[in-house]
Amino acid sequence: MAEKLAMVKEDPIIVIEGITKTFGNVEALRGVSLTVNKGEVVIIIGPSGSGKSTLLRCINRLEEFSSGRIVVDGITLDGAKNINAVRTEVGMVFQQFNLFPHLTVRKNIELAQKVVRKRSTAESEKVAMELLEKVGIPEKANAFPHQLSGGQQQRVAIARALAMNPKIMLFDEPTSALDPEMIQEVLDVMVGLAKEGMTMVVVSHEMGFARAAAHRVIFMDSGQIMEMGTPDQLFTHPSQDRTKLFLSKVL
Amino acid sequence: MAGISFPEEQKQEELVRTKLDSPGAGFDRWWLLVVGVVVTIAILYFTIPDPYGRAVNFVWDGIGVSIGVTVSSFIVTVFVGLMGGLGRLSKNKIIQGIATLYVEVVRGIPLMVQLFFWYFAFPAIIQSFGKQIHYEPFTKYFADPYFTAIMGLTICYGAYMSEIYRAGIQSIGKGQVEAARSLGMSQFEAMRYVILPQAIRVVLPPMGNEFISLLKDSSLVSVVAVADLTRRGREFMAQTATPIETWTIVALMYLVMTILSARIVGWLERITKLQER
Repeated sequence: MAEKLAMVKEDPIIVIEGITKTFGNVEALRGVSLTVNKGEVVIIIGPSGSGKSTLLRCINRLEEFSSGRIVVDGITLDGAKNINAVRTEVGMVFQQFNLFPHLTVRKNIELAQKVVRKRSTAESEKVAMELLEKVGIPEKANAFPHQLSGGQQQRVAIARALAMNPKIMLFDEPTSALDPEMIQEVLDVMVGLAKEGMTMVVVSHEMGFARAAAHRVIFMDSGQIMEMGTPDQLFTHPSQDRTKLFLSKVL
Repeated sequence: MAGISFPEEQKQEELVRTKLDSPGAGFDRWWLLVVGVVVTIAILYFTIPDPYGRAVNFVWDGIGVSIGVTVSSFIVTVFVGLMGGLGRLSKNKIIQGIATLYVEVVRGIPLMVQLFFWYFAFPAIIQSFGKQIHYEPFTKYFADPYFTAIMGLTICYGAYMSEIYRAGIQSIGKGQVEAARSLGMSQFEAMRYVILPQAIRVVLPPMGNEFISLLKDSSLVSVVAVADLTRRGREFMAQTATPIETWTIVALMYLVMTILSARIVGWLERITKLQER
């Protein structure tokens, strides 16, 4: 399946240079550098506490980093001023979905369009319905989040993020909170996005998804990038012992 | 969660709603209590017109004052509390410090002492300040009883309300703010569109209880020359020397008001629970 993915040109959209992050005296990130090109799908794997979620959350500044530099789509993340500018270009999908429980599915997708993008009600509604069509649950438009299954909720969360027309999508363990039978429906939506050429950074241990959609897999451990390569390289011929050890546990 | 389909859910909702709206709904022991108290007052009024009937007639206008003072204070308190609650949660250390100081100081002083302060001490402070800066309106400042009473109750209950708001806002998961922020909303927009609409449902029941407490504590404004129900009771007792009859009537009247309020609070709670579904 990997050959169906479009080739990626050298065209950096995310540039991370030596960022560090400490929580108290715990070093979550110890000098991580990474460049992601436009249209590239990067999967980050690694044991829990390795800093992979922290790295992801630094990209849209949900987490502040201690030192280093991140440039997203030409905007340098340093001052507080341009954070919202970056966030509108970067969509994020969370492990726990984080849908707004007091709003219907459609309103969940419309809210930020109206508030942030200043779109009209009619326009946001149109976008919402198109996206619900795309993630395959248009019939749930008027349901409330708690009336949906986990897989459906996560698909709504993806639609909500896409409604902002982001250039980059971040996924923080999008299938970890799902029952096994619902994982595939979410992965299908993500593979579809990857094939459309969306730039994606995904923290996930779904190896099937990595093989189907990833250009690059990154293995992180104790706050550092230990190894990176194509899914084939990393999964079948890992060069580091720690990568081998980790893969032997999860595969 | 997955087993319940949407139409079923809606049907359930309609069912509960009709149950609530139908006449005679919830005619239970609460209503019996209200009716019992009202009937008791009526029996006393008609069978023993002197002093019970006279007492009711005498204190009657005090009820309006009590309700007026309570409702006005409560409305302002709702806003003061929101400001205080947001201030307590502010990342700005100065705002947070001011809000915390306010809440801690006010909660540590008895309400009656606070009312005395606003009624007697505060005007004296304004007057001496006016003398120093030679500003005549200040030197002639006297506390208006009603304004002082409402201000005193508002400042006191605003502090308690701040804590209710704070708890309500904190009860909404951190993920909600993160989701809103990751969509590009500002801190204010996230609060306005995502957090507060959810927090208000959490906050409503304890807020209703605050209203009932406020109604009862409004009796304290009688010490600052407001002719509320309690003060009218004291005046009637002074005139007629009938302590038992006077305070029986006043107590029963407060009881009717608090039970009715509790009823309304319970109803509001159920309405918001319905919306939550």
